[in-house]
Amino acid sequence: MSTTKYANAVAAIKAMENTLLTRNDMEQLIGASGKAETEALLSAKKGASETESAETVWKMIKSYAPESRELEILLYKNDFHNLKAALKSMISGREANRYYVRPTNLDLEHLSGILAEKDYGSLPVHIRETAREAYELLVRTSDGQLSDSFIDAETLRIIQKDSEDFGGEFMQRYAQLTAVCADIKTAYRCSRMKKPRVFLETAVCGSKELDKDALVNAALEGTESLMTLLEGAGYSEAARLLNESAAQFEKWCDDVIMELAQTARMKSFGAEPLAAYYLAVEAEQKNLRIISVCREFGADRETINERMRTLYV
Amino acid sequence: MNSLGITLAITGAVLAALFAGIGSARAVGLVGEAAAGVVSVDPSKFSKVLILQLLPGTQGLYGLLIAILLLSRVGVLGGEAADLTTAQGLMFLAASLPMAIVGYFSAMAQGRAAVAGVGITAKKPEHNGKGIIMAAMVETYAILALLVSILLIYNIAI
Repeated sequence: MSTTKYANAVAAIKAMENTLLTRNDMEQLIGASGKAETEALLSAKKGASETESAETVWKMIKSYAPESRELEILLYKNDFHNLKAALKSMISGREANRYYVRPTNLDLEHLSGILAEKDYGSLPVHIRETAREAYELLVRTSDGQLSDSFIDAETLRIIQKDSEDFGGEFMQRYAQLTAVCADIKTAYRCSRMKKPRVFLETAVCGSKELDKDALVNAALEGTESLMTLLEGAGYSEAARLLNESAAQFEKWCDDVIMELAQTARMKSFGAEPLAAYYLAVEAEQKNLRIISVCREFGADRETINERMRTLYV
Repeated sequence: MNSLGITLAITGAVLAALFAGIGSARAVGLVGEAAAGVVSVDPSKFSKVLILQLLPGTQGLYGLLIAILLLSRVGVLGGEAADLTTAQGLMFLAASLPMAIVGYFSAMAQGRAAVAGVGITAKKPEHNGKGIIMAAMVETYAILALLVSILLIYNIAI
């Protein structure tokens, strides 16, 4: 009966998909004259629920599928970001809470205390070892950027490892795409900034589709070598967009994840539609932020449209 | 009296009721789970998803029908069980198998199709009928199995 898992949750999610914003809704929001009209449009579409935060949606998904470890992989990026925030706050003495992102698998209330006491055993298994190593690296080198790069690479490695260990095909593909996008971005930036090999080797994670050594060597040779490598690995579109603008590349990264999410839309069972819905809510919120920020800076309609991410519905 | 013959015939009745019933129970439960998920978000869709939930329940009824017909044919229900040979008993057992086996698997398949129909109802309630039709198509094979079982039960010479 494993193939019929989460029938209840998936059906509920399908009913909720009706409240997700469509391309037409986004067009109307882009064209809205001000905050009042935007709020009226959102309220008309979403009713009393308004825009649900990713945290609310996550809590709802977990209430339907509390035992799914696979779904927790979706929050690993937030978990490791929070680890970085907590480590930095320890060093700088600043309040970490404002830098935390939610939802997360971590107990944010006690995170700083756990790290201060080096009680790594109280952290979830996936972050335990990274927390210990990152702390030691930070104390040893006092290099916040190196420590961040180490955590970023570990994030990708653990997302890939856990998706292989207990994730389905969907989650494995999600992990691959996440790793590829992040690695390309890191390698490109390092190449432009002429970072040394030692830094690249810490910052780049590697994946089945993009070998770490090849990526590091290409980045050290220069951006042209990097583009040639990407084209050879089937990421010519990513290479082209990276040459054009960082914003376009970021959009491409989000869009490939959304294209993956869309493959789960037609499924009636399993964790995939739940994960896809969470990714859809994240994309929707990112689009709303883009509209809001672009408006604030007086961007025209065409610019906003260029930056809009692909939607789930 | 050859007690093995009647035992085999009764076993056939049991299998028809048992497997078709289990299939229906599991499938109706599965669709019920999905239907409850939709109703938890939008209670107004209750009546629409209820029809889909009922669809895979028919196999259990067909299994019951075959069990009653078979028991009636061999005289168990009338209180005077026929003196069946082992071969006749085996024939009655075989006659029940189409309903038992097809009943179980068609109920499960129909349950999955009905859950997909619940998904249609959740997203596009106006297309609810299409979901019902798609799930109902699976019923064809349960009905064919029912017919075969009935024909066999009534045509086995006692």
